[in-house]
Amino acid sequence: MASTSRLLSRPLFWLPLVLALGTALTAPLFGSSPSPVQTTALALLLTGIVVLSGYLFVVIFQPERF
Amino acid sequence: MTTLQPPIFPRMPRGRRDQRRYTERPRSDGLLGRAVLQSFVKLDPRLTVRNPVMFVVWCGTLVTLAATVEPRLFELSPEAPGRGFNALLSLILLATLLFANFAEALAEGRGKAQADALRRTQASTQARRLLPDGSEALVDSSALRRGDQVRVSQGEMIPADGEVVDGVAAVDESAITGESAPVLKEAGSDVASSVTGGTRVVSDMLLIRITADPGKGFIDRMIALVEGAERTKTPNEIALTVLLAVLTQVFLIAVATLPPVAAYINSPTPVVVLVALLVALIPTTIGGLLSAIGIAGMDRVAQFNVIATSGRAVEACGDITTLVLDKTGTITLGNRLAEEFLPVGGHSERELATTAHAASWFDGTPEGKSIVRLAEKLDAVTALQMDTATGLEFSARTRMSAQLLPELLGVQEFSARTRMSGTDLADGNELRKGAVDAIKGFVRSRGGTVPDDLDEAYERVSRLGGTPLAVCWNAEIQGVIYLKDIIKPGMRERFDQLRRMGIRSVMLTGDNAITAGVIAREAGVDDFIAEATPEDKIAVIQAEQRLGRLVAMTGDGTNDAPALAQANVGVAMNSGTQAAKEAANMVDLDSDPTKLIDIVTIGKQLLITRGALTTFSIANDVAKYFAILPALFGQAGLAPLNLMGLASPQSAILSAMVFNALIIPALVPLALKGVAFRPATADELLRRNLLLYGLGGLVVPFIGIKLIDLAVSALRLV
Repeated sequence: MASTSRLLSRPLFWLPLVLALGTALTAPLFGSSPSPVQTTALALLLTGIVVLSGYLFVVIFQPERF
Repeated sequence: MTTLQPPIFPRMPRGRRDQRRYTERPRSDGLLGRAVLQSFVKLDPRLTVRNPVMFVVWCGTLVTLAATVEPRLFELSPEAPGRGFNALLSLILLATLLFANFAEALAEGRGKAQADALRRTQASTQARRLLPDGSEALVDSSALRRGDQVRVSQGEMIPADGEVVDGVAAVDESAITGESAPVLKEAGSDVASSVTGGTRVVSDMLLIRITADPGKGFIDRMIALVEGAERTKTPNEIALTVLLAVLTQVFLIAVATLPPVAAYINSPTPVVVLVALLVALIPTTIGGLLSAIGIAGMDRVAQFNVIATSGRAVEACGDITTLVLDKTGTITLGNRLAEEFLPVGGHSERELATTAHAASWFDGTPEGKSIVRLAEKLDAVTALQMDTATGLEFSARTRMSAQLLPELLGVQEFSARTRMSGTDLADGNELRKGAVDAIKGFVRSRGGTVPDDLDEAYERVSRLGGTPLAVCWNAEIQGVIYLKDIIKPGMRERFDQLRRMGIRSVMLTGDNAITAGVIAREAGVDDFIAEATPEDKIAVIQAEQRLGRLVAMTGDGTNDAPALAQANVGVAMNSGTQAAKEAANMVDLDSDPTKLIDIVTIGKQLLITRGALTTFSIANDVAKYFAILPALFGQAGLAPLNLMGLASPQSAILSAMVFNALIIPALVPLALKGVAFRPATADELLRRNLLLYGLGGLVVPFIGIKLIDLAVSALRLV
């Protein structure tokens, strides 16, 4: 149990999962792109911006952690 | 013709580092090289993530690098920038990150150099540990534990922090203080019984009880602090981090929502240009320099031979509103000098001077010596037979180098309990000098009476701001010695400066109210507490804090420890007890109580530096708007905003980015040294900073970006 919570608290574990999930969910928004690579890249960029924004919210509300 | 120089604070650490008065300075060989290396190491996202502004730049760099590899990766428009432009932009963003890392690494490197200098005092040494049966065993200093007793003889190094339980010796503390004159350490003394590991016994022998386990000593803690191992963000740093994160968040959302707007007005914006716009808008200058400013503040205090337990303590100095200062040694010179003899009870000045001379002959204190000198000047030397004297060499135990007289029976050293000292002669005569009340009591105890004019002489001396010392021969008071307190030069100006900074000064003294009032007026302090005991310090601090003020004070004794802990900034003297050093949040290695004023000034300078660079950082956004927005939306009617007449949209973006990167290393010296500081009120400082750094932040980027644009165009980079 403790090891699971330790794993979940590690960004290196959940960050790729969040990015992959976000990319998969937002990819249809860029369906009109000329290539699937560009579709994935734009979806990943959008997800990355959302994650970055979330990170900034964490900094704003828990600044002492940084 | 001479030019009038603006007043600068007289004791701010300044000038070339190697010309300051301290002997042992941290070596900074290879500091730049190590800082450059660390700049690359700090590109690790696990480290960058602690700085929100620079982490956004890091993410932006990743995007531009990807666009360099495949320029069409994020672009739907055929007019997207090519690989060359993207590569240039990536390099500039990478340079921005490296410059910010370099500033931090340089500040940390200076702290590490300080730590290395301290570590050199920590050479492992052999110690003679006392065993329960009284025998000694030779052990390594790392094997010593709290409570162990060790014997340290002349020439040997003290193996760990401890307290003297037996013996008197001179100790060379230059390894940590830089002061070459040995200090006396003895058992039973509140202040002089504390010893520090790494210092050396230069005379006699000491029996020391170890008070710190290995790795937990005073120097160990100092090393950890100056290396930044225990550095935590200060409240002001946290507040500024939140502000920077909010600004970054606002600009991130604004830039991320631009593409649909741009598409609507038929002016598509490439992703790499949006990244450039975001980096230009977020406060990268202060974001890159913030931690360097904090670390440099600690380093500036350390350069002044003061070790702060945290950055919070240094920063708290900047918010101090009340200084509680001891009179003796801080406001006045520690040594009072005899100025005049005031005879009473019908005695002559010569009679009084002769008795004072004899009573002070064996008094080794500066005050006692000055009484002897004044009596000799009046040709009123003692009638004792000097030619029959025999020599007595200096001893750490008696702390005297004097002459023994056959008719001398004993020497009465001054004690805080009796508040008098003197000489007992072989024929039974007792000569005393001391506090007027104490001498009155002594005389009455021997059946004598107090002359009517004694109080008049006492008040006269007090009104002059001096210390009155009564002198008696057996039960007969002969008069009063006027000991003149000498106020340190420039104190009035310094208190005036502190007042201008909004800092109130309170003087504590054991003197009577009349003397204290005169000294307070002459020195220019705002308030004083007369006849104060060490216990009064905590009462004064609590009273000030109840009024919402932040208080700084100095102390060295165990009885100062509660007040040092209570004060918002407590500075313990290195010569002080372990308890005082534990309770304080700063330790002055030079044991100079006057330095409290300087430390407060350094704290103010730290806050002002941070404020000035934040103002500059936010103000220089304006020029970047005028560079990038016309470049982005020139086709949509924003071309007239190109006030600088930048050559092309791409050149405008690159120029703004290059300026954004270069301004960080350009401001590193200012961040590390601190902005020029002159004592002034908060309003004056705010006006000055807005004018200098606000207006400068507006104007400088316009000039800088234009010059870079000319260079970019001339070099045909785009």
